[in-house]
Amino acid sequence: MIEIKNVSHTFAIGKKGKEKKVPVLKDLSFGIARGEIVSIVGKSGSGKSTLLNTIAGFMAPEQGSIVVNGQETASMNEVTHAQFRLENFGFIFQNFQLMPGLTALENVELPLKIKGIPSAKRKVKVKELLQQVGLENVSDHYPNELSGGQQQRVSIARALVTNPPILLADEPTGSLDSETEQDILLLIQSLNKALNLTFVIITHDEEVANIAHRKFRMHDGELVKEVL
Amino acid sequence: MLFKDQVDFVRQHLKKNRLRVFTTILATTMGCAFLIVLASIGFGLQGSMERGILTDQTVTEIEVYGDPQKKIDVDAIRKMDNVRAVVEKTNAQLSANVKFEERTNSVPVNMTDFDNEEKIGSKLSEGRLPQNSDEIVVGYHFAENLLSKAELKEQEKLYEESAENDTTSTKQAKKLGYKESLVGKTISVKLQDYDNDKAINKELTFKVVGVSEKPAKDWLIKNTILFSHELKGEFYNIYKASVKDSKNIKAEKDMFYPEIKVHATNLEAVKGVIAKLKDKGLSVYSVTEQLDDINVIFLAFKVGLIFVGTIAVLIASIGIFNTMTMAVTERTREIGVMKAIGASPKLIQRLFLMESAWIGILGTAIAIVISYGISFLSNWLLPIIIDMATDSKQFQEADIVFSHIPWQLILVASAISIGVALLSGWRPARKATKIDVIQALRQEL
Repeated sequence: MIEIKNVSHTFAIGKKGKEKKVPVLKDLSFGIARGEIVSIVGKSGSGKSTLLNTIAGFMAPEQGSIVVNGQETASMNEVTHAQFRLENFGFIFQNFQLMPGLTALENVELPLKIKGIPSAKRKVKVKELLQQVGLENVSDHYPNELSGGQQQRVSIARALVTNPPILLADEPTGSLDSETEQDILLLIQSLNKALNLTFVIITHDEEVANIAHRKFRMHDGELVKEVL
Repeated sequence: MLFKDQVDFVRQHLKKNRLRVFTTILATTMGCAFLIVLASIGFGLQGSMERGILTDQTVTEIEVYGDPQKKIDVDAIRKMDNVRAVVEKTNAQLSANVKFEERTNSVPVNMTDFDNEEKIGSKLSEGRLPQNSDEIVVGYHFAENLLSKAELKEQEKLYEESAENDTTSTKQAKKLGYKESLVGKTISVKLQDYDNDKAINKELTFKVVGVSEKPAKDWLIKNTILFSHELKGEFYNIYKASVKDSKNIKAEKDMFYPEIKVHATNLEAVKGVIAKLKDKGLSVYSVTEQLDDINVIFLAFKVGLIFVGTIAVLIASIGIFNTMTMAVTERTREIGVMKAIGASPKLIQRLFLMESAWIGILGTAIAIVISYGISFLSNWLLPIIIDMATDSKQFQEADIVFSHIPWQLILVASAISIGVALLSGWRPARKATKIDVIQALRQEL
């Protein structure tokens, strides 16, 4: 499903002309199979978010290749990558990243709009998903009228709406209390089982990381597999 | 993204910042309306001038002048392609002293070919065109200048009394003259050489069969008689017989001046006929040539006005640029999310361009409506204001159009306004496509 081979990346830090090159990803290689939940844990600055960004195509690694669904993505241009993301990835962010001017229903609908799906078809799919995440009663609420847990559920519904095979989650429970965190983790596990979805979860929370089938620890740009 | 969804998306965002969008649209409207109204003055004045020229002249008419020493070959002109008729008018160095009942009038002797007058459709206010040489057409003001001795004295008195006020004297003089129709009446005419104080004794009689149409311009007085051109020889013989010393007899070519008017079949044919006449070495005058010159001057004038108006639109475009730049800055996180979930940079750019285009289109549409309103009001109010200021009714009666908005002006102004709106939105839209997803997602809510 996802093949990462010899991926390396450095960041230039400091004043222009006097930048220092700091390696953030050091020759990483690993694979993720379909239907697998993989968690990557590590401290802040360990490089875990950079790794997720390279998988998502938000940035291209300096070296190495990333193959998703049989397609090399590291060398894709911006337009092709956008289309690829739309077809293959769903995103769950720490701070939900919902559009404040759109209702829950409209937020979930957004990827389908971008995809060019007609309104009638969209509405059916969105309602079905909102029901699945237990938000059918608040579909016309704006994000600021929802609790953190509800917002993250909207965010998950938005990630699922295009039926992507892979969901990339960056600190999915980072902004939630422990009770809500459990709800979201259960939802992730049930979606993984029901839809055979692949999850890549970036977290610093061991409890969250432990719901994965495989757990990697990131330290100074290097990846170490841990036994669960 | 479907077009309908793109429009919805743009509308939603415009609604969010109503006041800012409203002021930007207002600036666009003002700029575009200024452009349209300014250029409409050029169109209005050009139209008024064209109408002024065309009111009393036929567009297909070409006046022809030749070498005074040579006779113009009228028959050859008649045979030219696209020539409908050639009217040869002759002005004589003679005046006709008219007597009717106890009234008199003195008019210049003008002769014409009535067959060709009929061909070109010469209009009369009364009666018909002559069919014989003893029939004549009198000018529209001929009857009111046919005065009795008492009326002549009264007229002189009136002129003296109101020497300082021409309008009053003219109005009062209009009450004088022969009041009934002259059509069917017979008048007697005595010719008089311009160089002689006394009229020639021989009296001729003519039947009035028609009265020429009212001149288009109020200030034109048509106190004339049109004789048949067949009388040319007879008039010359009468003149010759009246001159005692044969040395003083003017030659026929000095006595009669031809005035040739060629009528082309239609407006499109005028240029071709003019070219052929010039090839024959003839001098020509046509209202179309005059209009061409005027059009060139007005074209430059209108381009100048549109240029000045465009500067106003460009100033308004700064508003659009600012609004769109603000929109991009404020929505950086949203743009980042959209890009993250799969919106292509092209879509992002299109959405922002549509937003600035919408501001341009709405501003232009309102500007068009307002411009028509201003144009209508200025055409209605300006003549009244000017006449009030000058204490006359000249402008209201003259039917001067100060502002005219043709559809071509609407097209040009819309293209400039919407084009400038798109250009000002271009850079912010490009900026939006270049937003880094990672940086955008890090922004605080």
